[in-house]
Amino acid sequence: MEKTKNLEKLFNIISRILEIDISIINSKTSPDNIETWDSYNGLMMVSELESIFNVHFTMDEVVGVRNVGDIIKALKKHGVDL
Amino acid sequence: MNKKELINKRIIKIAILSSFTIKGIKETLQVKAAKTNLLTEFYVGGYNQYAQEIFDPNSALYKFNPDLIIIFLDTIAILGDHYFLPYKISDKKRRIWTDEKIVEIANLAEKITETCQAKVILHNLEKPIYSPLGLVENKQDIGYLESIEIINNSLRDRFKKNNQVYIFDYDAFCSQIGKQNILDYKMYYLGDMKLNLKYLPNLCDQYMAYVQSIASMTKKCIVLDLDNTLWGGVIGEDGLEGIELGPTPEGRPFMEFQKLLLSLFHRGIILAVNSKNNYDDAIDVFENHPNMVLKENHFASMQINWKDKVTNMRALAKKINIGLDSMVFIDDDHMNREMMKEFIPEVTVVDLPKDSALYVKTLTNLKLFDSMIITKEDRQKGQMYTEEKNRQKLAQVAIDLTEYLRKLKVKVVFDKPNPVNIPRIAQLTQKTNQFNMTTKRYTEEIIGQFVKDKNYQVIAIHVSDKFGDNGLTGLAIVEKKDIRIWRIDSFLLSCRIIGRKVEETLLAYIIKVAKSNKAHFLRGEFIPSKKNKLAEEFYQKCGFKKLKNKDKTHVWEFDLKCEFPFPDFIKFKINK
Repeated sequence: MEKTKNLEKLFNIISRILEIDISIINSKTSPDNIETWDSYNGLMMVSELESIFNVHFTMDEVVGVRNVGDIIKALKKHGVDL
Repeated sequence: MNKKELINKRIIKIAILSSFTIKGIKETLQVKAAKTNLLTEFYVGGYNQYAQEIFDPNSALYKFNPDLIIIFLDTIAILGDHYFLPYKISDKKRRIWTDEKIVEIANLAEKITETCQAKVILHNLEKPIYSPLGLVENKQDIGYLESIEIINNSLRDRFKKNNQVYIFDYDAFCSQIGKQNILDYKMYYLGDMKLNLKYLPNLCDQYMAYVQSIASMTKKCIVLDLDNTLWGGVIGEDGLEGIELGPTPEGRPFMEFQKLLLSLFHRGIILAVNSKNNYDDAIDVFENHPNMVLKENHFASMQINWKDKVTNMRALAKKINIGLDSMVFIDDDHMNREMMKEFIPEVTVVDLPKDSALYVKTLTNLKLFDSMIITKEDRQKGQMYTEEKNRQKLAQVAIDLTEYLRKLKVKVVFDKPNPVNIPRIAQLTQKTNQFNMTTKRYTEEIIGQFVKDKNYQVIAIHVSDKFGDNGLTGLAIVEKKDIRIWRIDSFLLSCRIIGRKVEETLLAYIIKVAKSNKAHFLRGEFIPSKKNKLAEEFYQKCGFKKLKNKDKTHVWEFDLKCEFPFPDFIKFKINK
């Protein structure tokens, strides 16, 4: 239950900031296939994720993200049930 | 947004220049401006390009022709090496460095004032909280942190008398947020962000005060309703002695509200009245109420009549000869406000709270008149307009209210009298003055007798619309003694629902009932009183023929062979 809820939250954040339809988001979604995923929106997502899931990413984690799958991994690492 | 609005609305052009990555401010400010109904256009300077853009008179900055230029210089960028190694140089050199920085920053703003008319918001510097000298930082001849204070103080003093440049106390802003939180180091390293993204809305709130001020330079006139706006109660109902205005808990909010309006008049804001009232009743208050702060001579023009407020507003704009977009409308009645928004979107409509205790607060929170400069001429403007009061009659612009009423979704419920509503029914007969055909006053006991008597029918109406419930606000008492000729003994409506076709709905219901009981005629009477002139022509408008004048009473008759349909956009329900 918690798991699906968190995934929904995550996808909502991504959809809102990148202004894309939630249905097209999957773990392969990345700056390579989403035009609006620029460096600024990337940072916006970091800021939103940190405040909504109450976590703090390290700089290496932020720089290491290549796609949505990596975001999920990073959140799991901080104990978010996904 | 329709075309008309776009033409009439001024677009505020805002340029943002900074020494770092500025993304996000534009977006946030745009949303905030839109929320206050302001249209904005933005120019965002290139990353750390501010000096070039300011010093080149042909730059894209000046081509943009901004109304407002925000210069956000961050301490880290301005200080450069000094930020980490402030004591690499001697105190003496630091003094020279400080003076240079003051000139450097001030020059930016001064160059803009030489080149264009835009207002400038110049940030001062966030004073750091860390010094390598720690406890002895303030024992220096000129300390590092002290040097930032000197820069900030000098900038403030330098522009005190300048009407184009405003120093924004960013250091105070940072203190308010908490300097510990202002920088998100990760974001700073990743994206050169000098302000944590989550505080952008706070910063933009501060900017908005300036933006609104620029936009409001065009707001010149406050148009006021009277009943329950300038005083408590309804003059036409409560009379000079009955309205709330004076040193009582209920009267003080109105008195102080008037004082505040007077203070705006003194700084050059034009005042006007737009009220549905009998002219003489209303003027009586201005002339004879001892606690009236505002007098007739404070108003450039007064529209006091029974026309709709939209028509009156247009008339005021013509009479005073100012644009509708420079007018602000203050009225306690939600429906009047919505109507104004609908028909004249250029007019700024203030959402006055229901509680009169909050009127003063609402007015002081309006940033609409908050211009950045006030000249002596400005201060006299209100007076000037009053003196040149133009009393010429104007052709009235009629509007189609049907469409509006349709949107209002008025709902009328016909209620049978019962022990719960009889006290209210009696109260209505006693308190209603304006839309009251016969002004017959009845007690609860008499109403109770009418209800029991088969020769009478008491019809109460409950009125609501999309904005809320007006409660039990209308009443008719019909006499059916003569089966062929029914007679309307009382017909009245509380003034807050007049003019919404509710009166026609009530009459249509009576006609329907009379027809189904095989009556032939319906008679109605109008007995003139001091206050019911408004209702005088009602029966005539509804197709009644005048039979006779008996003493002062006008007797009207409706032939029940004729049709009288319900207004088609009013929903009604009949409670059994």
